[in-house]
Amino acid sequence: MNHYAMKEYRSWNLDYDGQGRSEKISRLIITLFGVVGLVWGYIIQQFSETVYVLFAGFFLAACLTVPPWPMYRRKPLPWQKPRPAPREEGSETQSPKTKKKK
Amino acid sequence: MHSVFGRGNAMAAYALSVLAGLTFCCFLSTVFLDYRTPATINTRQVVVKSIPDYSASREKNDLGFVTFDLKTDLTHLFNWNVKQLFLYITAEYQTPSNEFNQVVLWDKIVLRGENAVIDLKNIHAKYYFWDDGNGLRGHKNVTLTLSWNIIPNAGLLPNVGAIGSHSFAFPAEYTTARV
Repeated sequence: MNHYAMKEYRSWNLDYDGQGRSEKISRLIITLFGVVGLVWGYIIQQFSETVYVLFAGFFLAACLTVPPWPMYRRKPLPWQKPRPAPREEGSETQSPKTKKKK
Repeated sequence: MHSVFGRGNAMAAYALSVLAGLTFCCFLSTVFLDYRTPATINTRQVVVKSIPDYSASREKNDLGFVTFDLKTDLTHLFNWNVKQLFLYITAEYQTPSNEFNQVVLWDKIVLRGENAVIDLKNIHAKYYFWDDGNGLRGHKNVTLTLSWNIIPNAGLLPNVGAIGSHSFAFPAEYTTARV
């Protein structure tokens, strides 16, 4: 994985606060749809409808919390800048070392 | 939860846990229901023959022939946790060689959504009414009972007996005519 691909992959990540919020939101949506589906299925006496409503909630939650929407990336942690390698200027030996530290 | 896959996986796992919980609620909502209901059975033709049972000992055993009427309404037994009913009629009787004999004579599957008002006239048994000896001829008290096995989405598979049964007697003489 070269440096560019690495950066591309990391751009799918959320910050710490966003991870917590995305999980909270997804659980809330799935639970809500599950409860509503249970009541609805009980009213019309059809358990398959309950399952469909739950799946609808799952897909809604997936759309809202799986992609790295900007709302989950507003509080990035202020990481320190990587320190320069102590010695050896050769870039060939340097790049794998810095990658390992990440 | 930092990666797309991690979030998708956690969400799918949580959704499946919720589904298990909902299924359990569905089970709880029906587990205490009373699934008994009245049914009336009447016998029309009752004869008994003595013929060799080639499927077992090859000795001459009693084979009963019974045709019967069955009337019951099972519509109200269906709910969101009943997929189908397996109806079956058993003949129960006591003989000198066995304290308790039980023979399934007939069965029928009723799916949810199908017509559950059963009104059958003069139907033949689907399965042979063999006795394992000569206990049927002249037997005074054979009882036919309708029962059903409930096949649910989730939960128990109860066998429920109908309220009401029908007792009849076999004739004292073997029939030699074709039945």
